[in-house]
Amino acid sequence: MTPPAIPANRPRRLLPRSLADRLGWFGAIIVGFLILMAVFAPRLAPYDPSERVARPFLPPSSEHLLGTNDVGQDLLSELIFGARVSLTVGIVAAVVAMLIGTTVGVIAGYYPKRLGSVLMRFVDVVLILPFLPLLIVLAAYLGRSLTNTIIVIGVLIWAAPARIIRSQVLSLRSREYVLASRSMGAKDRWVILRHILPRTGLLATGSFVRAISGAILLEAALSFLGLGDPIQKSWGSILFWAQSRGAFLTPAWKWWVLPPGLAIMAASLGFALIAFAVEERINPKL
Amino acid sequence: MNKKRARAVILLLVLALIAAACSSGTTDTTSGDASPATTAAGGTTDPEPTETTAATTDEPVVVRAAVTGGEDTLNPYTYVSGFPGWNMLMLQYDSLMQFDVNGDPQPWLAESVETNDDLTVWTLTLAEGVMFSDGEQLTVDDVEFTFNYFTEKAAGRFARDLRGVESVTTDGDRTITITLDAPNPAFDLVALADIPIIPEHIWSEVTDPEEHQFDSVTNIGSGPYVLVDYVEDQSYRFEANPDYFRGAPAVDELVVVVFADDSGPLAAIRSNEIDVIFERISPEQIDLLDALDPIDISQGPEFTTQMINFDVTKAPFDDIAVRQAISKAVDRQDIVDTVFLGAATVGSPGWVHPEKAVYNPAVAAERDVAGANALLDEAGYTDSDGDGIREFSGGPMSFEMLTNSSDSLRLRIAELVAEMLAEIGIEVTVSSVETATWEEAVWPGFDIANGRNYQMAVWGWSAPVQANTIRVAELVDGNPDIGFLNLTGFSDPAVDAIAEALLTEADPAVSAQQIGELQVLIAEGVPFVLLAYPDGAYAYNSAVYDGWEFIAGQGIVSKLSLLDASARP
Repeated sequence: MTPPAIPANRPRRLLPRSLADRLGWFGAIIVGFLILMAVFAPRLAPYDPSERVARPFLPPSSEHLLGTNDVGQDLLSELIFGARVSLTVGIVAAVVAMLIGTTVGVIAGYYPKRLGSVLMRFVDVVLILPFLPLLIVLAAYLGRSLTNTIIVIGVLIWAAPARIIRSQVLSLRSREYVLASRSMGAKDRWVILRHILPRTGLLATGSFVRAISGAILLEAALSFLGLGDPIQKSWGSILFWAQSRGAFLTPAWKWWVLPPGLAIMAASLGFALIAFAVEERINPKL
Repeated sequence: MNKKRARAVILLLVLALIAAACSSGTTDTTSGDASPATTAAGGTTDPEPTETTAATTDEPVVVRAAVTGGEDTLNPYTYVSGFPGWNMLMLQYDSLMQFDVNGDPQPWLAESVETNDDLTVWTLTLAEGVMFSDGEQLTVDDVEFTFNYFTEKAAGRFARDLRGVESVTTDGDRTITITLDAPNPAFDLVALADIPIIPEHIWSEVTDPEEHQFDSVTNIGSGPYVLVDYVEDQSYRFEANPDYFRGAPAVDELVVVVFADDSGPLAAIRSNEIDVIFERISPEQIDLLDALDPIDISQGPEFTTQMINFDVTKAPFDDIAVRQAISKAVDRQDIVDTVFLGAATVGSPGWVHPEKAVYNPAVAAERDVAGANALLDEAGYTDSDGDGIREFSGGPMSFEMLTNSSDSLRLRIAELVAEMLAEIGIEVTVSSVETATWEEAVWPGFDIANGRNYQMAVWGWSAPVQANTIRVAELVDGNPDIGFLNLTGFSDPAVDAIAEALLTEADPAVSAQQIGELQVLIAEGVPFVLLAYPDGAYAYNSAVYDGWEFIAGQGIVSKLSLLDASARP
């Protein structure tokens, strides 16, 4: 148990702090931009995305910068409003995942003997389950709605954060001050709330941001497969309609498939870069 | 050591032998399966000299077709889909009558079909010299056997066609008499042109067709093609039957490739890997494919339908005013233009397709939002709390509309209808569910006696329901035994009376009159809201073969397309 304050024992960083920071800021700018887009969607979008405003299958023009979709809705407006659903699902699903992951991680780390090993074997099971098929089966079974999409993603991505948090809790629970407070008769709940949680919270931030990045990708995948709520305008559902109306085989992919694809990539990348920078700073063992 | 080596050598030898047997197997079984008695040995690649005009070169015409989803071993008890499964099945078999270009049944295996005045006795004369592909002659006994077999082994679809057949008798070598227990003016359409005649000498040994392991031996028919090769979920290879009784087919070999989804064939026809798609292509693909050079489109009206169903047995849909208002509020033309990009016919409120001779033009649909609003106002459905949604005794008029998630066009229809009904103060929430869930809600257990568990749904019937206008009673009759397709629970004594009379009316003029009246009654009573009849559109490579014949209401997948023009009815 080496105290982390001794610099000699610190593992070498993957990248100099400044570069990680710069990448993190870059990610933050992307994410900030997308969040602004989602918040001010009604002001930014030229049309109501649910309104049929022109002929179907129009190529880009000055009136419709990205053309129109298969029923004549403005694709640019769909893209802008799509940020709302995609980001909401990403963030809320990540919150769900972190709630489950932190609870399991803290309990498994704090009671490492019997309860902990049972929980961790369960985590192992969740981790080795074939991920995408399970996701598809669950989504098809639960039915199509925004809430179900969030739940499905949430219950599938909590295992990795749970492991990270457990290892942190394992090391925390044998620290002197924790031992001291326990030997003075502190109850488990008090120790967890007072000493353990505050020191895992920082670590959880990194996992949280990383989970958002994954959840956005999963939401897009589900919607693209038609397993999301096809009535909700998300980037994935734009791709779903592009696929089901043959846009992948026609020149329309340039304005119908590419923009939502890039948006999904940008959102996922943005959060991933932030997570990378955060973990660079706080992860004791990276 | 030596023993081991010897073993290895023997093993290799055996393997080599098996390989040799397999590679020669294709040619062997080709001639063997096709017709050992009639085909000249080895003469499988040269097309028979025929009177065809299409095949002027010596090169055999090979057409590669695409289907979505396999059809199992493709015999009367195993084929999967009504379209194109039945259509592919009928390449191997013949029916007593055959649809012509207009979709009307014409004499085929039976060279003449006569009935008595009240349409209960049908007398057929069999054509001469029809052979099964194994060289056996097709006789009246095979016809009698077929009718009895399908009736006894009722698992197949064809038993339903034969309900009402009292007896089948043969007289001499060529005459068959079928007696029905009630007049059936549509017997030629639903039975004679639908049922494949199967060979007695093969099928008499098949005692349990549901469990039977079918192989190439059972796939013997009198049709223009012989299935020579079948790889499960991959492909079917048909070879022309050179001794077909209407002359050798114009296409010498037909390979049907099975794809998993409908985007595969679209890509394959572009890259010249297939020559025709045996499935309807979606509207947005029509112009795109037509613009490519060797690819042409065969397009025409079909009898499939897209409609809105509602539960007529529950409030507020039990009120005729509500149903009429919904029918008036939907913009059918907009749905045709937007969802089908014009490749559809606007739905007639009277059910019958405008292409049909018995269509009554008096029932044409006209959108009238103001009229619909007035209807609802008069009937007392008002918006008392000012939220833009009317109320009825059971609360606000907000309903869930079910649609099946596998059909994206239907989902778009639902969205558009929701938008249109909002204008008359009816709120519709679209729910896209699994196909099985949707079917189970609208048509639980495929039996209307089980009731219905939905408020509104986008629904569609396949072509045969529309093709046979005489049987519209199945769709609207209040008696569940007669109206077994009456999914909305509609009931109107006036409609029942005419619809039931129509079922047994022998005089075509009277029957046409009755169908005309019925359309007016259906348009007024609104048992469902018919939105559109989507067109059929098929893509083919005209450089390979361009003899495709579009049968009205049914499309291009039939033996007509593959036969020489002079051999078509």
